[in-house]
Amino acid sequence: MAKQVLNCTVNDELAEVLVQPWDTLLDALRERMGLTGPKEGCGTGDCGACTVHLDGKPVASCLLLAMQVRGRNVRTIEGLGKPGALHPVQDAFVRHGVPQCGFCIPGVIMAAAALLTENPHPTEEEIRYGIAGNLCRCTGYTKMLTAITEAAGATAGRRS
Amino acid sequence: MSTVMKTTRDVKGIGLSIPRPDGPDKVTGQVQYVADLNPRGLLHAKLLRSPYAHAKIVRIDVSRAKALPGVRAVITAADIPQLKKKAPTLAIAEEALALIDVQYEVLPVAADPLESMKPGAPPVAELGTEADTSEALAHGSVAGVSTEAKPSKAVNISQQARLQRGDVAKAFAESDVVIENTYRVPMVHQGYLEPHAVLAQWDSSGNLTLWASTQGSFNTRSEVADVLELSENNIKVIPMECGGGFGGKIRALCEPITAVLAKATNRPVRYVMTRREELEAGMPAPQVIIKMKTGAKRDGTLMAIEAEAILESGAYSGAVLAVAGVFLASLYLFPNFDVKGFEVLTHKPSIAAYRAPVAPQTIFAIDSQMEQMAKKLGVDPVEFRLRHLQREGDKMANNQPWLSNGGVEVLTRLAEHPIWKKRAEWKASSKDGKLRGTGISLGGWLGGLQPTGATVRLNPDGTLQVMTGQVDIAGTNIALAQIAATAYGVDIDKVKITTGDTDVAPMTGLSAGSKTTYTVGVAVIQAAEIARKQTLEIAAKELEASVHDLEIEDGRVVVRGVPDKGITLASIGKKGNLYMSKVEPVLGASHPAFSVQAPAFCAQLARIEVDPDTGEVTLHNFVVAQDVGKAINPAQIEGQMQGGAVQSLGMALTEALLYDDKARLTNPSLLDYRKLTSADLPNIETIIVEKPAPHGPFGARGVGEPPIVPAPAAIANAIEDATGVRLTHLPLSPERIALAIASA
Repeated sequence: MAKQVLNCTVNDELAEVLVQPWDTLLDALRERMGLTGPKEGCGTGDCGACTVHLDGKPVASCLLLAMQVRGRNVRTIEGLGKPGALHPVQDAFVRHGVPQCGFCIPGVIMAAAALLTENPHPTEEEIRYGIAGNLCRCTGYTKMLTAITEAAGATAGRRS
Repeated sequence: MSTVMKTTRDVKGIGLSIPRPDGPDKVTGQVQYVADLNPRGLLHAKLLRSPYAHAKIVRIDVSRAKALPGVRAVITAADIPQLKKKAPTLAIAEEALALIDVQYEVLPVAADPLESMKPGAPPVAELGTEADTSEALAHGSVAGVSTEAKPSKAVNISQQARLQRGDVAKAFAESDVVIENTYRVPMVHQGYLEPHAVLAQWDSSGNLTLWASTQGSFNTRSEVADVLELSENNIKVIPMECGGGFGGKIRALCEPITAVLAKATNRPVRYVMTRREELEAGMPAPQVIIKMKTGAKRDGTLMAIEAEAILESGAYSGAVLAVAGVFLASLYLFPNFDVKGFEVLTHKPSIAAYRAPVAPQTIFAIDSQMEQMAKKLGVDPVEFRLRHLQREGDKMANNQPWLSNGGVEVLTRLAEHPIWKKRAEWKASSKDGKLRGTGISLGGWLGGLQPTGATVRLNPDGTLQVMTGQVDIAGTNIALAQIAATAYGVDIDKVKITTGDTDVAPMTGLSAGSKTTYTVGVAVIQAAEIARKQTLEIAAKELEASVHDLEIEDGRVVVRGVPDKGITLASIGKKGNLYMSKVEPVLGASHPAFSVQAPAFCAQLARIEVDPDTGEVTLHNFVVAQDVGKAINPAQIEGQMQGGAVQSLGMALTEALLYDDKARLTNPSLLDYRKLTSADLPNIETIIVEKPAPHGPFGARGVGEPPIVPAPAAIANAIEDATGVRLTHLPLSPERIALAIASA
C-alpha cells in the first residue's frame, strides 16, 4: 500500500506529512513529525501515556489511525504550554514536584487540562476519574490531585 | 556582643522541598527517553519470541524474512556464538518476524514451583548453571546464612538456605498459642511506564555506544561486555532519562542483542520492547510461597518460628533467598527458629529485583502471624509488635547485630494517629451492609551498599558543578545537589549536577537498594568539603589570612569578623582557568566504599470498607510513617513514600501475573494486569520521621524501598478487622474476599 498524505492542524500549525495507512496517530506524531512528548506505554489504550487532544477532547493517540485525524485539530503536550508560559496544570505540576520518572506526565497533564476546560470547578472525585485512564507508577497520584486542584483554582481565577 | 553572620550552615541546601530541576522539561514533553531518539539511518529491531515456555528449536529458516525489502539483517543464535545467557522501519521488522519459520519440539513444562521442586520435574536450567546471588549482594549483605546441598534429583532447586537457633520442637511443645498458615504472593511486574529500550551504534574503531534506560550504566556496561566478550573500555553507556525501573532495569536485557544487530547492519539500531513483551518476557518479582508456624506463651512470650520459603525464580537463578530468610526470623525476637529457603526454577521469565526484593512478601507473612497471635492472646496488636520488635544491637537471624533504626518510632507514630485510635468507632460505624475495618503493619529494608564517586568543581562564575555517574531514578540528583550546597557553603541555585556517561563519570553503583542518597551523598559531601578546603586555601593566600579565619558567605570568602575583607568565589574560579595563572582550579573528588548499612523502617495504616457481597475493598484513608534519618528534600521523599505505598497496595489488592499450566501468561496487557489508578485510591498521608543514621549524609538513610513493604499485611489485617476473615493469598481480590466471607 502506498503512503498517504495527512493534512491536519497540530499545535496550531498546518501539518502535511506522509503516513502509512497502518500508522497510528501516535506513530505519525512521534516518528513523522518529531513530536515525542506523547509516549507509548502500552499501545493498547490502557495506560494513557499517549493522550493528546483531538478537537479539544482527550484521546489515546495509539488507538487512532493517523488518517482518522485528516482535517482535524490535534494538540500535543508540546502545544499546551512552553517554559515561561506554562499551562496552569503544567505550572502546578512543577511547583508541587509531581514528576518523578516523568514518562506518564505528558498524558496525565493532557487529560487534566481537557478536564479543566470541560469542567473548570471539578470535585476531587471528578479529578480522580478525569485522570483514571492514566497509569502512573511513581507518584501514587496524591501530588497530582493536589496540583490539579490548585490549577483548577488558578484557571477559574484567570477567567473571572 | 555578637554580629549575626550568615554562615555555611544557613545556606539554602538540605532540608528544603526544592522541585526537581527537570520538572519544566518533563511537563512540556521535552525530556528525552531512549524511544525518543531518532538518529539519521535509524533501524528498528524486533525479536521473534517462542510461543512455548519450554521447547527445543529444531530448525529456523530466516530466508523469507531476509528477502523482505527493507530488512537489513536477521540474526539467530548461530550468529552470536559467544552469547551466553539471554538473547529487526518498525513495521517491516514486525512483518519480517512473521516470515521467520521456526519448527519447535515442544517439551514438558514446569509451571508450578511446588511441583518443580520434586524429583523428576522437567529440568529448567542447563546442567552446570550456578546459583546467582549477585542481586543479593547489590541489595545488602546477608552474611551468616548456611547453605545446604539440595536433595538428590530435585533438579530445579537452584539455591537453598537455612537459619536455625534454639530448639524449635521443644519451644512449640511449650507454646500455648500456635498459628500456622501458608502465604502466597504471585509473580508481580515492577510496572514502570517506560518499557525497556536501547539504542546501539558502533563507530569505525569498534567502539560501541549504548543509549540505555538503566538503573546503573556501569552495570549495563559490564554485563554487555561480558555477554559480547568486549572490553568495557570499548563500550560507552549513556544513561537516558529512565522511565521507571524499581529493580526491573538493573540487569541488561535487550542491550546485547541490539548491539549485535547494530554491528551486523553498521547502522544505529533501536529496540523498544512492547508492553506485551514486558509482561511476558520482562524480569518480574518471584512468586513467594511461605509456610509458617509461630508459637507463643499465654503471657505473650514469643517461643518459636518455623518456616519454609519457596521463591519461584523463573528460568534462571537470581532470587535474594538469604534476605528472605533473614527477614522472616529477624524482625521480631523469636528465641527459637528454623527457617528454610528454597529457590526453585520454572519455565517462566527470569526474575529480578522489585523495590525491596522479597521484603513485602516475607513481611506479609510475618506481620500477618503477629497480628493473629496478638488477637488470639487478646493483647493490643501494636503493643505486641513493639514488645517483640528487635532493637539496635539485637542479633538478627544471621547473628549480625541490628543497626540503629526507627522501627519503634514509626510504629509508635502511627499508633498515635486518630485513624488508629478511633478504629473501634470506625468498625462500629459500619452501615448499608458494608463492613468497616482498620489495619496496621510494620516493615522495612536493611539498606544496600556499593562503592561510588563524585566530583565537585568550582566554575569561573562562582557556581559549583557536581558530577556523578549515578542514574537519577527517584529525584536523587536534586538531593545530592542540596547536599553539595550545604557541605560547600553556597545556595542550591548555585549548584548544577550532572549524571555523566560511563566514559567520563566517576565509577558508581546501581540506583537500587535504597542506597543512592546514602552512599553517593557521602561521596558528594567529601568532594564538596575537599573543594571547600581548596577554595579556602586559595583565598587565604589571596587575602593573606589564616584558613581558620575564613568563612564562605553569600558567594564570597571572607575573613570572619572583617566582612569587608573578602574575595568572591567567582574570582577564585576565574583564577583557576586563566592563561598563565598559578592558581590551581578547584576540584574535589571522592570515591568512598562503605561497610555500614542503614536499615529503614516504614509503618502503614489503612482504614477500609468491605462490601461482603462483592468482596470490593474501598480504601478510605492510608497513612505512611517512615524513618528517613534526615529529610534532605521532604517533597521528594513524600513522593517516594506515596508512590511506594501505592505499589504496595497494588500488590495487596489487584496485581498478579497469571500463568496457565503450560506456563503461558494469561494476562499480558495493562487491561488485565491491573494496576491501581487515581480512582481506586485516597490521598496518601505521609509522616516523615527522622532518626539519624550514624553514617548517612547529614544523617539521611535510604528512602525508596521501605514504603513498598507493609501494605499487604496492613490490608489483610484491616480485612480481618472488618470481616473476621483471614486471607493469606495475594492479591486480596474481590472474588477471594467474597468467597472467603461466604464460606466463613
